[in-house]
Amino acid sequence: MENVSQDQAKNNQIRWRSAAEQKTYSSKLVEALRHVRRSSPPDNVSSRGRAVREKADKVLAIAAKGRMRWSRAILKKRLKLRLSNHKKAKDRSKLAAAGNSRRKNLKIEVPKKKRLRPLQRRVRVLGRLVPGCRKLSLPNLLEEVTDYIAALEMQVRAMATLTELLTGANAVAGNVAESSNRLEISRQLEHPPQS
Amino acid sequence: MNRTRPEMLHCLNATGNLAAATSREMSVLERQRAVLKWHQEQLKRRQQRHFDDLNVFSAPLLAQNINGLIDDDGSGLNEILTRPTGMETGRPDFGSKSGVILDLDHSAGHVNASSGYCLNFAISGNINFPPTVVAAATQVNTAVGAEAKVREPTTSERLSVTTGRQSSKKRKAEKSLPSEVDEEEDSIVKKIRGCADEEEPTNSDQHQNSNKNNWNNNSSKNKESNGDKSNREASSCTSKGNSKASAVQKPDYVHVRARRGQATDSHSLAERIRREKISERMKYLQELVPGCNKITGKSGMLDEIINYVQSLQRQVEYLSMKLAALNPSVDVNINDLFAKEVSPACLASYLPTMGVSPEMASQSYLEYNPVETMGQVCVSEGVNLVDASLRRSMSPPVSIPETLLHSSCFNQIHNSLPWELDLQSLFSMEFQQERPINCSLADLCWPY
Repeated sequence: MENVSQDQAKNNQIRWRSAAEQKTYSSKLVEALRHVRRSSPPDNVSSRGRAVREKADKVLAIAAKGRMRWSRAILKKRLKLRLSNHKKAKDRSKLAAAGNSRRKNLKIEVPKKKRLRPLQRRVRVLGRLVPGCRKLSLPNLLEEVTDYIAALEMQVRAMATLTELLTGANAVAGNVAESSNRLEISRQLEHPPQS
Repeated sequence: MNRTRPEMLHCLNATGNLAAATSREMSVLERQRAVLKWHQEQLKRRQQRHFDDLNVFSAPLLAQNINGLIDDDGSGLNEILTRPTGMETGRPDFGSKSGVILDLDHSAGHVNASSGYCLNFAISGNINFPPTVVAAATQVNTAVGAEAKVREPTTSERLSVTTGRQSSKKRKAEKSLPSEVDEEEDSIVKKIRGCADEEEPTNSDQHQNSNKNNWNNNSSKNKESNGDKSNREASSCTSKGNSKASAVQKPDYVHVRARRGQATDSHSLAERIRREKISERMKYLQELVPGCNKITGKSGMLDEIINYVQSLQRQVEYLSMKLAALNPSVDVNINDLFAKEVSPACLASYLPTMGVSPEMASQSYLEYNPVETMGQVCVSEGVNLVDASLRRSMSPPVSIPETLLHSSCFNQIHNSLPWELDLQSLFSMEFQQERPINCSLADLCWPY
């Protein structure tokens, strides 16, 4: 059983490092980015940035094909957010109608603090970092973390490439525009327009 | 039982040939019942008596008595009695007991030609033996009871097959035995019970063989193993030595070996499996996360892993902000960039500049200074190649959005070369270069 899981992990690793995977991810990401560009307001960069980040994560999760827990959790988050947004609007209206009576009845109990050993604490922190793995046992958590790290690395690579490409394109475009202008100008200079 | 006894005696008396008579004239079922009842009676009686270590003193006395009596019945009995001694080599006292065991009340009854049967008979007859023997006896007994024609000394193996049928009753009888039993014996009994439990589903002869061996080796085994009685899952019913205990053949269980000198408790075994899994995965992560070769210990490793994951996530954030900022300006570019082909000339020019150190790339990363380092935009189906090309120093621009391209640029594009090979090399090189970038960014993000 252990050997099987190890082989799976190694296969996953190879998958995330492959060029094909990165290619597909990049193309999907570009598509998603185009969506973002169209949908979100151009002036608010930070919100755009967040949207881009979320899109990137979503595309990554899709690339993972739902094999790992964190990918499923990311995809679930999207749905939950949308649903919760709808729900929040409804709830607010309900609360306003009902008044404060509900809140008075509710008792919030402060959870008792557990004395976690440092190791346990770190395990919890790691669980919080990886999406959807908060209450996972250590061996499963480590498996998820392995795959998640590989996927993140691929994501970073792809996005870096993309940004470089775009910035390079911009720069080159700028350069070329300049050079083309210069050429035009030089041509004009060489061949002065004949009046 | 009472009714069968006179029957049996009658038969025996009539024929004089014990073996033949019992096998022919009594049905198997009758004999079974007889044996059962007889045993039950015996056990009831013996519960009142004290369990001494009769190995020492009772055997010789009884042996003398019984042997004398037996001689009256015939030589056959003697033969049978002496045979069992050969079976139990590791337990000489056992052998002597078997000689002793014949109950005077039933000396004539239940005697079969098989030594195994007689062994049963003998063993179960005398309560003064430790329950181990009784257990063994009862097991063998029931087996024999079911088997009509057990003749050979090696029938103990066959007996085992039928043990399962009646072993449940025997086990109940065993349980009613007084609790004055030694720990050692108790554990042995449990082991036998455990083995018997497994026999029913498996019915394998091997277990019985191991049982026999167990009885022989039990005393030594108990001392060497950690004497864990509740060890059902990893049962010690192996015929191997004392160093290993293998797992039960249940489908959902993981097969584990308890190593020598380690606890064979089911809990500790499960814990050990879990620990091994964790350490295996930690080792794998150690290879994955850069800079973890020197760190030993789970907490340090976990710290490193946490830091690395955080840094990767921060990189993604940073890049996403960058992309968000870049987006509006490159509306048209992306389509065109992906559509273009790579020009072999570009590749040729790129290859010598492949050796551009990662510092250049990281520089461009950090300083966001595209002009110096990314003079070229080389487009292929994949973005990877683009990335590789971007690292080059200034070189003649190749592919640029159509709207901005000058005609002179197009000259280099449409040559035919086996650029797939080049792509491969580019990819591999690019991947090699990717790692250092990540590391440098990670270092950058550290203070956050």
